[in-house]
Amino acid sequence: MTGSCRCSNGLTAVLAAVLMSLLPLQAMAQRKAWVLPGEEETFRVFSVAGGTTFARDTYLSASRYNGWAVGFENDSWSGSTPEKRFSYVRNYSSLFFSPLTNRLKGGSTLEAGGSDYLSFMYPAVSCSACDLLIGPAVMFEGVVLYNEQNSNNPVNFSGYMGAGLCVDNTFRFSLFRYPMALQATLYVPIAGIGFAPDYDQPYYYMYKYGGFDKALHFITPFNNPAVMQQVALILPCRGNLIRLGYSFDYSGNHLGGHSRNIGTGLFSIGCVYRFQSKKWDI
Amino acid sequence: MNRNLRNRICVLAALFMMLLPAGCSWNGETRSREYTNTPKGNFMALWTIMDEHYCFFDFKKETLGVDWDEVKVRYAASISDDLSDRSLFEILCKMIGELRDGHVNLTSQYDYGRNWSWKTDHPANFSKDLQDKYLGTDYIIGGNGYSYRVLDDNIGYLVVESFESAMSDNRLNIMFNNMALCNGIIIDIRDNGGGQLTASESLASRFTEKKVTVSYTCYKTGPGHNDFSKLYKNELSPAEYDLRWIKPVVVLTNRGCFSSANDFAFTMKALDNVTLMGDTTGGGGGMPMSSELPNGWVVRFSSAPTFDADMNHVEAGVAPHIRVDMKDEDIRAGVDTYIESARAYINDKLKNF
Repeated sequence: MTGSCRCSNGLTAVLAAVLMSLLPLQAMAQRKAWVLPGEEETFRVFSVAGGTTFARDTYLSASRYNGWAVGFENDSWSGSTPEKRFSYVRNYSSLFFSPLTNRLKGGSTLEAGGSDYLSFMYPAVSCSACDLLIGPAVMFEGVVLYNEQNSNNPVNFSGYMGAGLCVDNTFRFSLFRYPMALQATLYVPIAGIGFAPDYDQPYYYMYKYGGFDKALHFITPFNNPAVMQQVALILPCRGNLIRLGYSFDYSGNHLGGHSRNIGTGLFSIGCVYRFQSKKWDI
Repeated sequence: MNRNLRNRICVLAALFMMLLPAGCSWNGETRSREYTNTPKGNFMALWTIMDEHYCFFDFKKETLGVDWDEVKVRYAASISDDLSDRSLFEILCKMIGELRDGHVNLTSQYDYGRNWSWKTDHPANFSKDLQDKYLGTDYIIGGNGYSYRVLDDNIGYLVVESFESAMSDNRLNIMFNNMALCNGIIIDIRDNGGGQLTASESLASRFTEKKVTVSYTCYKTGPGHNDFSKLYKNELSPAEYDLRWIKPVVVLTNRGCFSSANDFAFTMKALDNVTLMGDTTGGGGGMPMSSELPNGWVVRFSSAPTFDADMNHVEAGVAPHIRVDMKDEDIRAGVDTYIESARAYINDKLKNF
């Protein structure tokens, strides 16, 4: 989608500029093989996902709950301009929902979670067959658990906002003359702020008396060992690129005197779209 | 670095990243304690959950002589791994029943384990038939659990059966409008087993003209029996932009008043124009939380203690200003001693005004 306009009327020009700024990207099918995005180029992968999850939160229950999960993933890669510090900016976000049961099927818990990982990466090793990207990342993650058996404290939220490291590895190869790419990504939070009630602090008290600050904790890999890993195979399919992925998101924190172990493994399938920023001539 | 070496580094790094999460998951899981689903495992889980989270151990030791470590030794002797589920349930219920706390329960497919001796060991001081007689048939239903009417001597009579839900502001305004010419109001919360704190506070806020400190509370901050947060002051603020009642109020209480009804009693007791009449309330001064045993049974326990405005525990109940007991002869004559005493009190107060 390209175009130009010449307007004598200043107001019309401004309106046109605003409208065009809302549509700055050009979407088209991805190339036949996965490569990293070039300058002003964005690749986006929208995926639907399904898998399994487990959760154990001692604020709610001493038991471990398991179940299936469904979700969405949005993975966006952008190539930056040469004068910028980082070569690539990646934004991976996901939402999932899961009904869980304990192993005796006697209790049920609903789980809903989301995460957003924003990483700024540069190539540590790059060659025609592979790219190893490393860089800092900002991470947000939150999970809400609703235990249907607990009448007085049914809900708990745990989450963190932190800074960490992202490593991404893409290995390109051919199978039956089809160009493919195997991609492995790892996010590890190193420090940040985590939320968890101060031992048996009721949410009603937080609402009524304050003390919200007691639920905020400084996190490190020792009290909040978390990791998000993704393995994906990108393969061509009828002129488009399809990504088959498996992501495993684990967060096991020991904050506020309680322990939480929440892990979600999702298989995903999505299509890769390429967007190109365009300069508009007015 | 030649191309082959680079490729190998990348492949190795990819493999490393694929394998790492399993290790992290394993590490996280092992850091939290989990009990086995056996009679001994469930017994230990229950004892430990209570030991680390129940908030009244010192108070129960002082008032009932309960030593939780001694309880463990005594009951552990009767736990063996060949115990049936039903027998295990009975033993565990007896163990937590030692605490005589209405907020301590064990729920299973067999029963709802409880010790309600805080109510059953005392006179009922309540007759539903008599209460219905005073309400008559033309009473007004102000909400779920709220009924009222104006008695013959121009005294309002409000029955609050439960605080499971709040009476809406609009309905409260209508009720106070209906009772605007009354000399006083009797609020009957006998046998009210509680509900939501917000519901009892919403009603109480109609009976004060100024902000009043009514209680203090804290919560557990660690597994030790004395690990508590700082005290938080609970102030009752007057209901803004709504009708408020400044004439005499009598609140009727008995041992069946528990949890939020207990909160309502000590909140009202802190107000100037309110008189508590009847028997001591049943208590339930700890905000409850729940957890779960490995076999799926749910345990509920008090985790956040509340103290009244004078820093007294309210777990064992709130004493009335004026003690009243139902008289058998009154009951036989179809008279509710509580309601008649409250009417006489309000009428006396009016005469002496």
